[in-house]
Amino acid sequence: MSDAMHPAIVSAQPSQRAETNPDAPLFEGEYHDRFEKILSRYPNKRAALLPALNLAQELRGWLSPETMARIAELLDLTPAYVRSVASFYTMFATRPVGKYLIQVCAGIGCDLCGAEDVVERLLELTETRLGEASADGKYTVMEVECLGGCGFATMVQVNDQVYEDIKAEDVEGLLKGLD
Amino acid sequence: MAYPHEHPRETRVLSKYFGDKDAIGIDGWIERGGYKALDKAFGMSRDEIIEVVKDSGLRGRGGAGFPAGLKWSFMPKNGDRPNYLACNADESEPGTFKDREIMRWTPHQLIEGIIICSYAINAEHAYIYIRGEFVDVVRVLNGAVVEAYERGYLGKNIRGSGYDLDLTVHLGAGAYIAGEETGLLNSLEGRRAEPRVKPPFPAQRGAFGMPTTVNNVETLAAVPGIVENGADWYRQWGTEKSPGTKLFSCCGHLRRPGNYEVPLDFNLKELVFEICGGPPEGREMLAVIPGGSSVPIMTVDELDCDVSYEGIEAAGSLLGSGGLIAMDDSTCMVHAVRKMVDFYAHESCGQCTNCREGSSWLAKILRRIERGQGREEDIPLLLDISANMAGKTICPLSDSAAVPVVSSIEKFMDEYMAHIRDGSCTAVR
Amino acid sequence: MDSESTPQINITIDGVELSVPKGTTILDAAERIGVVIPRYCYHPGLSRPAVCRMCLVEVEGAPKPQPSCVQEVQDGMVVRTGNPEARKARRAAIEFLLVNHPLDCPICDAAGQCELQDYAFETGQLSTRNVEPKVVLGRDHVTPDIVYFADRCVLCTRCVRFMDEIAEDPVLQVINRGYKSFIDTMTDEVFEHPFSMNIVDVCPVGALVNENFLFKPRSWDLDQTASVCPGCSQGCNVTLGAKEDKILRAKPRFNPHVNSYWMCDHGRSAVVNWGAGERIEVPMVRDGDRLAPVDWSRALQALTDAMRGKPGTARAIVSAGASNESLFAVRQLMNAAGFEGGEFRVSTGPESVLKGFPKLRLRADRVPNVRGAELLGFQRADDPIANASGHTGTLFILEDELDDAPEGFGGNAALFVYIGSKMNAAARNAAHVILPSPTFAEAEGTFTNYEGRVQRFGQALRAPGLTRPIWMSGSAVLAQLEAGEQLRTAGVAFAALAAESNEYAGMSYENLGQHGAMVASSAAAVP
Repeated sequence: MSDAMHPAIVSAQPSQRAETNPDAPLFEGEYHDRFEKILSRYPNKRAALLPALNLAQELRGWLSPETMARIAELLDLTPAYVRSVASFYTMFATRPVGKYLIQVCAGIGCDLCGAEDVVERLLELTETRLGEASADGKYTVMEVECLGGCGFATMVQVNDQVYEDIKAEDVEGLLKGLD
Repeated sequence: MAYPHEHPRETRVLSKYFGDKDAIGIDGWIERGGYKALDKAFGMSRDEIIEVVKDSGLRGRGGAGFPAGLKWSFMPKNGDRPNYLACNADESEPGTFKDREIMRWTPHQLIEGIIICSYAINAEHAYIYIRGEFVDVVRVLNGAVVEAYERGYLGKNIRGSGYDLDLTVHLGAGAYIAGEETGLLNSLEGRRAEPRVKPPFPAQRGAFGMPTTVNNVETLAAVPGIVENGADWYRQWGTEKSPGTKLFSCCGHLRRPGNYEVPLDFNLKELVFEICGGPPEGREMLAVIPGGSSVPIMTVDELDCDVSYEGIEAAGSLLGSGGLIAMDDSTCMVHAVRKMVDFYAHESCGQCTNCREGSSWLAKILRRIERGQGREEDIPLLLDISANMAGKTICPLSDSAAVPVVSSIEKFMDEYMAHIRDGSCTAVR
Repeated sequence: MDSESTPQINITIDGVELSVPKGTTILDAAERIGVVIPRYCYHPGLSRPAVCRMCLVEVEGAPKPQPSCVQEVQDGMVVRTGNPEARKARRAAIEFLLVNHPLDCPICDAAGQCELQDYAFETGQLSTRNVEPKVVLGRDHVTPDIVYFADRCVLCTRCVRFMDEIAEDPVLQVINRGYKSFIDTMTDEVFEHPFSMNIVDVCPVGALVNENFLFKPRSWDLDQTASVCPGCSQGCNVTLGAKEDKILRAKPRFNPHVNSYWMCDHGRSAVVNWGAGERIEVPMVRDGDRLAPVDWSRALQALTDAMRGKPGTARAIVSAGASNESLFAVRQLMNAAGFEGGEFRVSTGPESVLKGFPKLRLRADRVPNVRGAELLGFQRADDPIANASGHTGTLFILEDELDDAPEGFGGNAALFVYIGSKMNAAARNAAHVILPSPTFAEAEGTFTNYEGRVQRFGQALRAPGLTRPIWMSGSAVLAQLEAGEQLRTAGVAFAALAAESNEYAGMSYENLGQHGAMVASSAAAVP
């Protein structure tokens, strides 16, 4: 991913990748370089917190207490502070999530165009309840707030892949296409 | 994907190249006249640029409608502290999806606007605070930023002007309140996106305690056109108080949902029924929210007005972000309002007592009414809670949460009463 | 502190005109005329986030109510704190706080000292119109001794800001956002900090509670007395809470020169049950190899007679935990016998600084009156017992418990006077006169802190039995010996001390005031 390597780019892929390693070191190799790059774009360490958490979640799949403590150490912050910031934002997973995190927009625009049916169908086919990982750890279905694609209802996001104009009948095909 | 709908009655200034894949990259953009405004700007003084933007009357397109040139003029001119520009790309107002389109079809239009603005306010670093959910948009934007650096439009001595600017694309992590300008600044600083008490204002103490201007994507994207063509050019559209064109993100029960660009004196009813095609076949329009869920709901007979800031205000609502949500008669208004209030309850940062407790209280009452367990006294209760939430907090999210409740009770009381009296719903299935 | 160069602003609050320096907030201006605007998140020692929204007032001409804790006064401003609009805003905030509040006052330690209760009563907003199920969040330890009851929390963030701004260790934070917010430290952890208990003080409700105090007395059962903490030489101003002749707690009292609004955890636990246990309750005089309990007149007569008999020059072991007045009295007695020398020992511990107010430290000297003892001519020593062991003249012991004295200690002294609160083997075996002495909580007095600040403390408990302060009983003896005046009150005793000393010259209880005063040599040193 050449863009990721450019000195000005502090994010390449947003978090929630399908292949993650909960024990990946923070940070080594390419990820160490990207972390250093993040630090170079902000005037102090605290400001690097959101991109650093993003990077850690990209690697490990979710932000465990141990992960948050490590980020705190790297940025001279207290672990409690990092927990406070991480828990504020919806996209930071403070619990383990399934391999495919399926986020369905619950905003008014999508709700008017059948979002609830899309959620129902997803829960049915993945055999999960909202917010919980499926038994095989493959899927987590979540409702998220307005994804900013209201004219393309219903918006569904799976990890770093965006799906627009999803109706209940499209769900089966969407799930099949994930693997 | 091909851009969904074009309409001949649109005035496509910002959105001229939506759907044109070749406009995305820097070469295609330059071919289409891109970055000419920037060269012109480097030949002007900083004050001249601020003047032309002021004269154009460009108002902030994120929702507040504050005059952009005036905001830029608040920045210290010869300060000893570094200035910053923060571009608000956190587009989270329900119903709004215009900034994502500007960024994914014409990222260089935004970047050019950012560079011109940064130059005018003498910023040394610009951040694009983009919501983290915009995964596809971020990819495109990152590509454009790399191109801009590689071609000398960002970095040191831009285009030989002697001006240096660094640009960083900073991802949000899922918080609507990070779209409030001081919430954005706190988030940029690595904090919870909690809005700040004002004063001090961002131009005095903004990002990292330094003077900062915060502008919406659509506002900054309009800047190159104004600088290149002049204030009078921009004022050929719209009204005296609301000049120029605006993107309306139209969604909900419409034949042709999508982004449409019209001058700000366009008729709102024509926008809904003609450009968007009105409700789907066989349905009747019930209500329209013209500017995102934070502005009052309008009935169909209230729609005959200008889409200008003052026009919509006179008609009883607000232009806001221009996120137009259309609801036809299949809508259960109680359900729709509950969904909107749920949003605010979930997104409240939690600092202020009234908002934190009030928004979730409203949501719980609405759920109970929706379930058919409402009481007659719930109506005055909802109105009083709403009054207690308005005008009493650090930021207007508290007021916004109450808006759909108040306007729906005012205009759609029969929907509430049906639920309360016998658990039925007036929606036409 | 109004500086002459700060311009004055004229405003009207509730019909009263006043003039305050530019930069003053409406809330602070109102306090100057006795109008106390309700508030939670505001605390004079912390930053002002303006989040609780309790302090909203009406400002004429402003479209919405303004938070008085951050709104600065403007010339000509007209403020109304009690009009219908302001009241409605205040009642709204309380109602919102009560929506999810468990209303468990009967089992909450804060009852009687709770600002939620206080403002609910004040505004008449005693309940809510809420019929929805309440959010339940539970309780958790945040430190080994402090429990956080999340359901009672009003999210004023005073505790968060104390740890961040004053302790400079931001280990307490708001977790989650919106209605799911609560306060916690790192996941499944507790923190420890030498000043952590201040978060219990600043909590306006019963969300943060000291587990050691849980379910003990009700605050309205406590007798409160202004005092000075005896835990170290810092001299934090405190308020002691006592019930049935036991000290149950200490809370800090504001003193801008010493401890601001804070105190350390060590001092708080040190005062609990101070002086409890077996006490000497009556004076005693040796009769052969037994000690006979006697009344004061006989005890003082025995002491007077003994001193008339010229028993020899005086050595003493005193305590740096004794008041200036008591030490002065012993010094006078020693002078009457011929002053040879007196020592005291000091237990020490590691120093802890409160980083955000670094003047305040848990000092290494774990006694309150080291400076006071030194100024009266007593010297710090590692082993005063060894140094006084073989003394053959007059031996005075003031409030040193002699717990490690060797057998036969004091046996050589011609006159051994033990003045203390607890009995011990040395006194039992060798003392000629035993005078029961009150602890610092049982008599008025003064301490001189590490910096030379003389501060008054009050009497919080009744002294047990026939206990009397030594400045009262000793001065009676001196009067008999025509070597001094009878001192009947602590104030008179202090005045007598001040008359004899350059350091305390001119001081009196009246002019020591709320915040004490510096002894002369220290006052000269302070710029």
